[in-house]
Amino acid sequence: MDLLTFVRGPGMQWAAAIFVVGILWRLVGILLLRGKKDLSEPRKPGWRGLRLLALRSWPRKEFLGGTAFGEIMGYTFHIGFFVALLFYLPHILFFEDVAKGLIGVNFKQVFGVGWPYLPGGAVYFFSAISVAALFAVLIHRIASPVKRMLSNFDDYFSWFVTIAPIATGMLAFSHFGGPYPTLLGLHLASVELLMIWFPFGKLMHAFTIFLARGTQGVTFERKGASL
Amino acid sequence: MTTLGDTLSASGVSRRAFLKFCTALTSLMALPPSMAPAVAQALAKAKRPSVIWLSFQECTGCVESLTRTNSPTLENLILDLVSLDYIETLQAASGFAAEEARQHAMKESNGQYLLLVDGSIPVADGGIYGTLAGESFVDMLQESAKGAAAVVAIGSCASFGGLPKANPNPTGARSVSDIVKDKPVINVPGCPPIAVVMTGVLAHYLTFGKIPELDAQRRPLAFYGETIHDRCYRRPFYDQGKFAKTFDDEGARSGWCLYELGCKGPITHNACATVKWNAGTSFPIQSGHGCLGCSEPDFWDNGSFYKALATADWGGAKAIGTAAAVGVAVGAAAAYAARKRQNRVSKEG
Amino acid sequence: MSAGNTTIERPLVDKQGQMPEAQRTANAMKAFAQDFGRTASIYLESCIHCGMCAEACHFYEVTGDPKYTPVWKLEPFKQAYKREHGPFALFYRAFNLKARVTEGELEQWQHLLYDSCTVCGRCSLMCPMGIDIAGLISNARHGMAQAGLAPKELREAADRGSAPKDFKDRISRLAAEHGVDIPVDKTKADILCTVSSTEIEQYPKSIVATARIMKRLGANWTFRSDGYQANNFGLLAGDAQRQKEASMKLIEAAIACGAKTLILPECGHAYGALRWMGANLYGKPLPFKVLHISEFLADSMRSGKLKLKRLGKSVTFHDPCQSSRRGGVIDAPREVLAALGTELKEMFPTKGTNWCCGGGGGVVDIRRADALRHKVFHLKMNQIDETGAELAVTSCTDCRKTFDDGQARFKWDKSMNSLVELVANNLIEA
Repeated sequence: MDLLTFVRGPGMQWAAAIFVVGILWRLVGILLLRGKKDLSEPRKPGWRGLRLLALRSWPRKEFLGGTAFGEIMGYTFHIGFFVALLFYLPHILFFEDVAKGLIGVNFKQVFGVGWPYLPGGAVYFFSAISVAALFAVLIHRIASPVKRMLSNFDDYFSWFVTIAPIATGMLAFSHFGGPYPTLLGLHLASVELLMIWFPFGKLMHAFTIFLARGTQGVTFERKGASL
Repeated sequence: MTTLGDTLSASGVSRRAFLKFCTALTSLMALPPSMAPAVAQALAKAKRPSVIWLSFQECTGCVESLTRTNSPTLENLILDLVSLDYIETLQAASGFAAEEARQHAMKESNGQYLLLVDGSIPVADGGIYGTLAGESFVDMLQESAKGAAAVVAIGSCASFGGLPKANPNPTGARSVSDIVKDKPVINVPGCPPIAVVMTGVLAHYLTFGKIPELDAQRRPLAFYGETIHDRCYRRPFYDQGKFAKTFDDEGARSGWCLYELGCKGPITHNACATVKWNAGTSFPIQSGHGCLGCSEPDFWDNGSFYKALATADWGGAKAIGTAAAVGVAVGAAAAYAARKRQNRVSKEG
Repeated sequence: MSAGNTTIERPLVDKQGQMPEAQRTANAMKAFAQDFGRTASIYLESCIHCGMCAEACHFYEVTGDPKYTPVWKLEPFKQAYKREHGPFALFYRAFNLKARVTEGELEQWQHLLYDSCTVCGRCSLMCPMGIDIAGLISNARHGMAQAGLAPKELREAADRGSAPKDFKDRISRLAAEHGVDIPVDKTKADILCTVSSTEIEQYPKSIVATARIMKRLGANWTFRSDGYQANNFGLLAGDAQRQKEASMKLIEAAIACGAKTLILPECGHAYGALRWMGANLYGKPLPFKVLHISEFLADSMRSGKLKLKRLGKSVTFHDPCQSSRRGGVIDAPREVLAALGTELKEMFPTKGTNWCCGGGGGVVDIRRADALRHKVFHLKMNQIDETGAELAVTSCTDCRKTFDDGQARFKWDKSMNSLVELVANNLIEA
């Protein structure tokens, strides 16, 4: 079976299955651990602390000095990545197919208009800034004594499985580096690698960010502590 | 053996018509125009080789494509250039006479004849699903290939297994190259292949006496070196993000890209976008239908023709549902084990 | 330090007990296990190694040493969690993806978990993922204390229990000396007041001030010799058992005299210990209100019960980390300062983001940490000098102790003042 046929078939099936199994395993494995009830009298209702989910999205100006680079690069990467992922038609068609298969309706049926998309060139631009940001943060991770000390295999491998799909996507789009079917095959293979690694490393922050911010928000709000 | 030149002049084909043909053939084979005289010279002197055409699990579409003409054309000329000693669809003889003619040609031109094959070859259950004159297709192919100079697999069935090989492949259909291992095999896939691609490949072999440059799938690079996408006239719409959403919608009528409607042009190698069909009249995309990818292996099993290339097979709701259940179960088990361990460790000592 | 080499170098690691290494590690793991659970798991699974917590930490700020990165201080606890309790713990153990925590590692981490952390919580406030790093530090200290690896000063103070032992005598002497009524051991009272041992030892005027204010309010209040020390060395040392013992004394004393309100003194961690952790140690909601004394003063002011003279000076307020940022008592002291007719000149940063004085979390009591703490103190001096305020005020005796020590060390021209004393000195008598 050639590469492209494999990654459009069994490769994707296994990657999707591992992705789903892994994420639920990790989340359920966390959430079903022992919780402790807080018997102290709250100063304020804790649920209001969920605003920490939004508040913590940008540091307080007092902390901005040394963190500005990381914050800006982080957002640049994420915005570039999500624009490329969500507003490129071939990707949208994939997600629509999954949505149709899982919940029976697609976006157009629910909202009357199709999910919007950008021309390929615009997506290429966003991918490029995303890749640039990734290189910037890698250099920073290696150069900064704090980050260098903290970093382990997870940090570097997660970086790799994140940049590979974006870079191979750009190569496939521009038909650069080999025959198109091979480039497309490599792009899908890198996506599948990302899906397989996702539940096991720091990429899970996509989910845990809500749990951690939510927990701190609720715990601190009921005390009236600073959010 | 008479030369091609002799046969042509005997048929009343003028020198001028012949040269015109050779010029066209030269450009078709992606050779520089300066080579046209050399092509003409070589062809005129070429011996009319014996060609045996075997048909196995096929729909006859390849032969139909080849002969689909309205007036004497390149295709007809080609047919006159070879000694087509056996072709079931077109020959006059039948039954034992036909088989005898074949055996005779094979013996006469042993080691030199060109074996053309269309249709796949069933091998399941001892090859019982395809027989001719009491002989299985497998045996017939192996026997016929023994004395051939080269084998040309015409069409996707012969090249890659085609429709009969599609899931679940009940007859055990195989391609020619799966069975013939010790002879050069050229694949000329397509469902069917473009007429002039078939004749162009044959012409190349006749002219130069050797096989044209092939890609990894044994397809002649001259015709299969690029993808439909690379030469598609609708490419600007792809780049601009203008896609037809349904057949006959505004976009479809404006001739926009058919990617969303399942076009496999980006991954399909063939000459359709340049050479086109029916003497350059049109090709599927131009007619408003996405490319099926018919010159690629296993195109019947490569997902729906109407689902975009980007939609890979992610498993379906049932598979994902099962995965979700497994994930939750294993996660719960992990949490349970962790709590038990926590209880034990926090109390011991 | 005396001249000549007569000082004995203290080893860098304080050890308690004669336990073999394996025993120390096992005890640490046992304590860690008690702290694992959903909350710890959510936090420990969420760290993305961004290193931004370092930017918030005063110890990193003044040294630039990456080892003071807050989340790095948690490394043994995090390591143990992944190996023992996480969703993939089985694989971490089977393939040794995280090694077992060793005694050597725990020894190395004593400095990081105690000397260089005041549990101030600026890191928790910074963390983009929302991890309560400071809270996890307290968890990690449990393991250290159980392993006999707490700093000796904190260990000794935790084991000492309520201090000083002659509380009742000291109070009566204080009352006589200052001519003020200070009730102790009333059988029935509306309000139970408590003190910090630091107050009794070093700032007894605060206790007198408290008594004056209570008298002025005509409150039915008392101290109790069976439960008076609100500062909690068990909490600081990481000894959960000692922490609970100390808190239970206060709770039982309040119940014994039927108090409806328990007032905590000018202390940061005492507030967190009882207001937020007390009920959970008690096992049910506390049957009385818990207030920081600054909250009580603000309430009294608002209800018009307490009238104050106008000071007419400019002040700046140092927020004690545990009561302010982590405890929620941010506005009350400022209301009191406003009622005193002062011009509030906030320092930068302030309120929730204010810099820690550098002495909290037990650090001011660890002698070998003095040099590091003094480096941090520059931040506070600069902050306060820049406001141009005439008076610096706070509402925590450990902060006060840290400021006084820093003032002496650097011959600083500013002194820290107590909010309670300021109020008591400016009461409008009836």
